Amino acid sequence: MKNWIGAFSVIDFISVGILITAVAMNALRRLESCVKAYTLNSWLLSSLIAIVAFMMGETHLYIASFVTLLSKGILIPMFLRRIVKQIKVTHDVDPYISNALSLTISGILVAVVYTSLKEGIFVAGFSKNVLQISIAVIFIGLFIMITRKKAITQVIGLLFMENGLFLAGFSLTFGMPTVIELGVLFDMLMGVIILGIFTIQIRRAFASADLDKLTILKG
Amino acid sequence: MDPESYLYIGILFFLLGAVISLLPLPKVKNYTYILSSTGALSFALLSLHLLFATPRNLFSAQISSLFNLAFSGDAISGFFVLTISILTFAVSIYSIGYIRDLKNKGLMGFLFNIFILSMYAVVLSGNIITFLISWETMSIVSYFLVTFDREGKSAKAGLIYAVMTHIGTAFIIILFFLLYRYTGSMNFSDMKNLSSQIPENLRNLVFVFSIIGFGTKAGIIPLHTWLPKAHPAAPSNISALMSGVMIKTGIYGFIRISMDVLGQGPEWWGIAVIVIGAASSILGVMYALMEHDLKRLLAYHSVENIGIILLGLGASMMFKSNGLYTLSAIALIAGFYHTINHAVFKGLLFLGAGSVMHATHTKNMEDMGGLLKSMPYTGLFFLIGSISICALPPFNGFVSEWLTYQSLLLGFKSPSITSKIISPLGGAALALTGALAAACFVKAFGISFLGMPRNKHAENAKESSLSMIIGMGILAFSCLLFGIFPGMVLTVLQPVSFMLTGLYGTPYQQGSLLGISETFSTISPMAILITLIVMSFATIIFISSIGGKRKIVYGDSWDCGIPALTPRMQYTATAFTKPIRMIFKRIYLPRRELKVSYLVKPFFVKSIEYKGEITPFFDRYIYEPVIVFIHRIAERVKLLQSGSLHLYLAYILITLILLLIFGT
Repeated sequence: MKNWIGAFSVIDFISVGILITAVAMNALRRLESCVKAYTLNSWLLSSLIAIVAFMMGETHLYIASFVTLLSKGILIPMFLRRIVKQIKVTHDVDPYISNALSLTISGILVAVVYTSLKEGIFVAGFSKNVLQISIAVIFIGLFIMITRKKAITQVIGLLFMENGLFLAGFSLTFGMPTVIELGVLFDMLMGVIILGIFTIQIRRAFASADLDKLTILKG
Repeated sequence: MDPESYLYIGILFFLLGAVISLLPLPKVKNYTYILSSTGALSFALLSLHLLFATPRNLFSAQISSLFNLAFSGDAISGFFVLTISILTFAVSIYSIGYIRDLKNKGLMGFLFNIFILSMYAVVLSGNIITFLISWETMSIVSYFLVTFDREGKSAKAGLIYAVMTHIGTAFIIILFFLLYRYTGSMNFSDMKNLSSQIPENLRNLVFVFSIIGFGTKAGIIPLHTWLPKAHPAAPSNISALMSGVMIKTGIYGFIRISMDVLGQGPEWWGIAVIVIGAASSILGVMYALMEHDLKRLLAYHSVENIGIILLGLGASMMFKSNGLYTLSAIALIAGFYHTINHAVFKGLLFLGAGSVMHATHTKNMEDMGGLLKSMPYTGLFFLIGSISICALPPFNGFVSEWLTYQSLLLGFKSPSITSKIISPLGGAALALTGALAAACFVKAFGISFLGMPRNKHAENAKESSLSMIIGMGILAFSCLLFGIFPGMVLTVLQPVSFMLTGLYGTPYQQGSLLGISETFSTISPMAILITLIVMSFATIIFISSIGGKRKIVYGDSWDCGIPALTPRMQYTATAFTKPIRMIFKRIYLPRRELKVSYLVKPFFVKSIEYKGEITPFFDRYIYEPVIVFIHRIAERVKLLQSGSLHLYLAYILITLILLLIFGT
C-alpha cells in the first residue's frame, strides 16, 4: 500500500515544490503574494512530514505535521496578512536588484548547494534530495532578506530560512523530539509577533518600512 | 564556636546591612553601618581562628560539574581578613556621620556592605572560579562606588578604572587557565601541591602574568594610572577602603599565586619584584609631592606604599631562592607588617581627608589652611597618620619600614652577586622614598592645617561629628599600638611566615627589643617612645630651670611692616615643592608659562599670569599612544560596520557559502 509513495517519488515532488515556492519569492512583486508563497511553502512542508509519517509509521510525526500546519500554515500567515494591511503606503516588494538578476542568483545558489553536497547525506532514509533542497531554501531565504528593503520581507525571508532549517533537521534526524519542535515553533511564533511589532514601529518612527533608514541609528 | 559560625554570622550581618539600607525607612537605615562594624568584628574572630589553626575548608557547594563554590581559609587569608576587618570596623563607624550629607544614602549603604563582603570573599576563595567571581564582584561594585558622585570627572575615572581592572583580570584568567591546565585542579591548595608539574617556562609566564594582573589592582607603576583618578573620585569612606584594603587584594593574589602556589622561584623573580617595588615607591611619592589635591596626593602615596610592600616581598623571594631562609622570613614579615600598617594609616588619612573635605568643600590644599584651630581632633589624627606614613617613631610605619630596611641591608649575606647589588639599592630607594614622603606630608599637613585659612570655607570649617572622630580615633590608636607593641603584630604574622617560608621568622625579640639578628642591630619602639616623652619633659624642665621665670607675651606675627598679614602671603603648596621639582626636573618634565603684561615696561606691571604643570609621563607617553593606536584601528574596522542590516546579512550569506564550498 505504501509503494505508491516510492513509485511516484512523492517525497521528491513535494520537496521540489518547497524549493520552487522559495525561488518564486524572487519573482513576486507584491507583499500579499509573498505571504501566499510562504503559506504554500508551509503547507507543502506539513504534508511532506505527514507523508513521511505515514511511510515510516511514526505517530509523533503526525503531531509535528499538524502543529506545523497550524502555526506556520495558518497562524503566522494570518498575522503576516494583518501586518501587510497595516502598512498602507505601498504593497510593493521594492527590491534592490531586478527580479531577473535575483532569480539568476537564486539559481546559482541552488547550483552551488547541489555541487557542494553532491554525495548527499542519506541518514533518515527517505530521500536523497531533501537535504540539498532544504539548504538551498535556507540560502534563498537569506538572499531574500539581503535584497529586499521592507522590514516585512525580512520577516518572510527569515521564515523561509526557518522552514529550510526545519526540513534539513527533519531529513537528517527523522524529526527531532516533539518537545524541541514545539519549542522551536513557539519561538518562531513569538519571533514573528515581535518582528511584526517592530515593523510597525519602524514604520511609525521613520515614516517608512524600509530598513535603509536604520543606518542613521549608527553612532 | 567554630570558625564557620563566625563566617556565617559575619555574612549575615553584612547582608542584613545591605538589605535594610535599601528599605524605605530612614530610621532603620542608620543601623546599616552598625551592622557592618559588627560583621567586621565577627570576621576578625574568624581571622584569628584561621591564623592559629590548620588550613580548613569553610564552605563548599557544588553548583555544577565545573563550578564548586568553595571558601577556605589559611594563615594568609586569615591575615588579610584581619586587615580588612580592622579597617572596616573603623570606617563603618566613621561612615555613620560621614554619609549624612550624601544623596542616595540607601544605595551607598548597600554598595558599602556588598563591597566589603566581596573583599572578604576574594581572600577566602578556595578555588579559581570562586576567586574570579568574587574578584569581579569586587571590581564592579567598586566601579559603582567610584562613579557614585555622578560628576563628570568621576564618570571618566570610573571608565579608566573599569578598563584597567579588566585588563588585569584578563591576565589573571589566563594565568589561572595555565595553572589549571598543568595541575588539573582548580583548588589553590591542590595547585600548590602539584605546581612542580608545571614546566619551567610556564612557571615564569605565570609569575609575569600574576605581576601584571594583580599589579594592576595593586597599582604598581606603570599600571597605576587608574589609581590616582579613581580613589579621589569615590566618597572618602570608600577611598579609605579602596586604598586601605582593596588594592591589598592585589597583593593577596600576588602572594597566593607567586609565593604560595608556585612556591620557590628563580632569583630573578625576587629581583623583578624589588625593582618594580623600588620604582613604584620612588615615582609614587614623587608624583604625590606634586599633587595639591589632598586625595590624589594620598592615592599616589598608595602607589608608593604598595612599592614598599613589594620591596619586602621581593626581598623575601630573592633570599629564599638564594637559600637564606631566615632572612627570607624576616623580609616577608616586613612586607606583611607594612601591609597591615598601610591599611591602618592610609585608611586614617583618607578618613581625615574626608573630614576636611566635608568641612571645607574642597579637595584643593591651596584653598585650605588653619584647619587645626577649627578641627583639632581631625588635625591630631591626620598628624598621627602623617607621622606613621613618613615612617617616624613611635608609630607603626616606622617599625615595618625599619624591618624592610634591615632585611634589604642584610642582603650582603647573599651568595649571589646580583642580589648583593640589588638589595642595598632597594634599601637606598626606600631611604629616598622615606625622605620624600616626609617632605610630602610636611606639605600636606602644613598647608592644610597650619597657617591662616585661605578662603571662607576653610575659615568657617567645623569639627566633624562624633562618630567620624571615633572612627579616625580607632585607627590613630591602632597606629600607635602597632608602633609600640610590634610583638603583638609579629605574633599574628608568624603563622603566615611559617606557611610561606617554613620558618616562624621571628625577628630577634628580647623584652621590648626588636631586631633581625642579635648581632646586627636592634631597636625598641617602646623605649623610643619613652625616650621621646622623657626628653621632651626634660627639655621643658631644663629650659625653665635655666631661663628662670618666663612671661608669655602674645603679639602679632612679624609682617615686615606691611599693615596686615593676608592668607595670600603664605607659603603655597606649589612653592613649597618647587626645590624638589627643580631637583627632579628630568623626571617631572615641568612646563611653565609666564605671561606678564605691562603698563609701562618694565616698571609697572598690569597683570601676571602663571601656569605650571608637570608632564604626566605615563599617561602621555605610554597610555596615550596606545589609546590613539586603538582608535585608529577602530576607525578602520568601523567601515565593516556600516549600519546597514542588508550588508550584515550579506556577510552571513557569504560566510555560509564559503563554508559550504570549502567545508565539504
